[in-house]
Amino acid sequence: MERYDLVVVGAGPSGLSAAIEAAKCGLTVVVFDENSRPGGQLFKQIHKFFGSKEHNAKIRGFRIGENLLKEASACGVKVILNATVIGLFRQREVTVRIGNEIVHVKGDAILIATGASENMVPFPGWTLPGVIGAGAAQTMMNLHHIKPGKRILMLGTGNVGLVVSYQLLQAGCELAALVDAAPRVGGYGVHAAKVARCSVPFYLSHTIVRAEGEEFVTGVVIAEVDHSFKPIPGTEKHFEVDTICLAVGLSPMSQLCKMAGCEMTQAPTGYAPVCDKTGQTSLPGVYVAGDVSGIEEASSAMIEGRIAGAAVAERLGFLGAAERDERLKQYEAALSSLRKGMFAPENRGKAPKKTEEGLPISMNLLQKGYMDEAELEAYPGMIHMPGLHPVIECTQNIPCNPCQDACPRGCIKIGADLTALPSVDVSKSCSGCGMCVASCSGQAIFLVNEDVGEGFAEVTMPYEFLPLPRPGERGMALDRSGTPVCPCEVVSLRSAPAFDQTNLLTIRVPAQMAGRARQYRVGGAV
Amino acid sequence: MSKLYSRNEDIGEFVPAPDDDLIICRCEEITKGEIRRAVHDGMRTITEVRRFLRAGMGLCQGQTCGRLVQGIISRELNMQPANLTPAPSRAPMRPIEMYVLGDEKEGGVPND
Amino acid sequence: MLRIQEHPILGSTEERRLVTFTLDGRELTGYEGEPIAAALKAAGVMVHRYTAKQHKPRGIFCAIGRCTDCVMIVDGTPNVRTCITPLREGMRVQTQYGVSAQPYQEIRRCNKNGEI
Repeated sequence: MERYDLVVVGAGPSGLSAAIEAAKCGLTVVVFDENSRPGGQLFKQIHKFFGSKEHNAKIRGFRIGENLLKEASACGVKVILNATVIGLFRQREVTVRIGNEIVHVKGDAILIATGASENMVPFPGWTLPGVIGAGAAQTMMNLHHIKPGKRILMLGTGNVGLVVSYQLLQAGCELAALVDAAPRVGGYGVHAAKVARCSVPFYLSHTIVRAEGEEFVTGVVIAEVDHSFKPIPGTEKHFEVDTICLAVGLSPMSQLCKMAGCEMTQAPTGYAPVCDKTGQTSLPGVYVAGDVSGIEEASSAMIEGRIAGAAVAERLGFLGAAERDERLKQYEAALSSLRKGMFAPENRGKAPKKTEEGLPISMNLLQKGYMDEAELEAYPGMIHMPGLHPVIECTQNIPCNPCQDACPRGCIKIGADLTALPSVDVSKSCSGCGMCVASCSGQAIFLVNEDVGEGFAEVTMPYEFLPLPRPGERGMALDRSGTPVCPCEVVSLRSAPAFDQTNLLTIRVPAQMAGRARQYRVGGAV
Repeated sequence: MSKLYSRNEDIGEFVPAPDDDLIICRCEEITKGEIRRAVHDGMRTITEVRRFLRAGMGLCQGQTCGRLVQGIISRELNMQPANLTPAPSRAPMRPIEMYVLGDEKEGGVPND
Repeated sequence: MLRIQEHPILGSTEERRLVTFTLDGRELTGYEGEPIAAALKAAGVMVHRYTAKQHKPRGIFCAIGRCTDCVMIVDGTPNVRTCITPLREGMRVQTQYGVSAQPYQEIRRCNKNGEI
């Protein structure tokens, strides 16, 4: 039987990170993954990540995946694909199906990094072809370059629902509506806002009553729900769609932990193994990292992987205890900074009424996906001044600060607290470089010149759709709700490697629209 | 978790519901009504319901319906889902053909 | 057309070899190495199988090989997860009825007493 210092199950963000950390300490490491490609869900994540520099902020998920793979291969990690771990037994023995053979492998340590699986919600017609998971939509469009459907209804406004909705729009699909049984948008407000301004209506406190169709989905009926989540008769709404996408949460894929005999617990996000800060389970030498130990973001999964990797290295004598503690201190600091703010694990299920700065949280944002212009005025990123200046529509305390690093002139300030709302320093002058616009993972920064003469204003916005508008072209300016507000002219479209595929679109609108025009639609049709 | 459930507890009569014909276990085509009925017929744990109805015993091994079945049983028993022990996990963790499973050979991890 | 030719973030899809395969005898094309399910989706095929008990249609659901809803008969083998099985030239794909390739004769379905 083959023996490794560390056997990792799952080549996603946490598994690869742990493998890299351990291999760099000199351990022989093998990573098994049942998929034909490594990277877990990272290669389906085409949006820019939140966080700060140490968390790979403002880098798109698939690029983080590419970097991880490069790093893994450089430090000698053996990644075996199409290798399904089918069992984990006593003495850390693993059985893996590779091809048509069952292979037994032993590890001095085992890391289970199997990630999560999607939750589902049943409703009449939910077995019809055309009802799919949000992960399926991402897999189809971002890996296989196939649209999951032409016209889609999304159930779930958590970050997965919001991010996948936006990706569906980017892939060229139509989005009929975003629906959630909860009374409030579950994910980041900035993710909701970028979907809302593409004219996608939000239906909070609504649920799917039934999917329609005989052989496949041809439509869907939703209805408002009461306080016990029961549909209210008479509130039904019908949509003609060919696809219904379900994004109703994730659960740890912890079956392997349970089968191995790890002590398990019913955590808030699902059934997960009990583990200490380093991921060590109740079984000596068996570790967990990433979503399998509790649902979080890929960014935290990668740090958890590093922590487990260092812990395993120390356990097996490849790393001194002092050196391990030094690393853990650094990683834990990075992890705890990601776990702050309104969406921190301890705030799960709570609904803060005010930001850390004491500003009221917009109920419009939470119920419709966008904020009123008047509401935004209270926020430190909303300023008015002569000449070109940034406008930052970031109104929730989330751990993210690339905008602060992006501005070469220091116009944008967040400070040491990663979750503080960004503010604009009016004493500094904006060069118009647009780095802040491109660096904002939430696409919440705009450059505005409220008066360019002749009664016009110019608004620069992030633009990630095709076809790319051409200078001189005329189209429609949309407001934050996606409602057309005025015809406009494209002044410029800037692309640069540093913008990483976020184009900077500048449109000219009547001056009174400077505070409203936030999206561009090709063509003049309303 | 894992607290012993008293089988003598009265959970009342089975009351039909309008959504009883909703498919819950997609693989084995087990409905919500069948699961609820099974609880009233005496199946008081997830394992018992699985063995009785085959809910969660199909090709996907309960990966899609596991949480849903847990929710339905616990509601019927009027208890928190967390207090209902999930079904045991066993190898193989994924569907696998018998000829592969039954033909284990001595061998190592292939080098690519 | 469900194929994404040009994507604002991912760019254009890399060149792949177009291959021919059959679905229930009908000739279709797809790209070599993509999942069978992707090729079927691009060809507008929604129904992969009909279930054993209720004879209801099923198609792609999870697209990552977990849910087993998209299984079909591929080169004679039933229960093949088409969402993770790469397409090869000349593959013979069949809609799966229960575990058979034999379409249901709905008229011949028997009643509870076993009578036809």
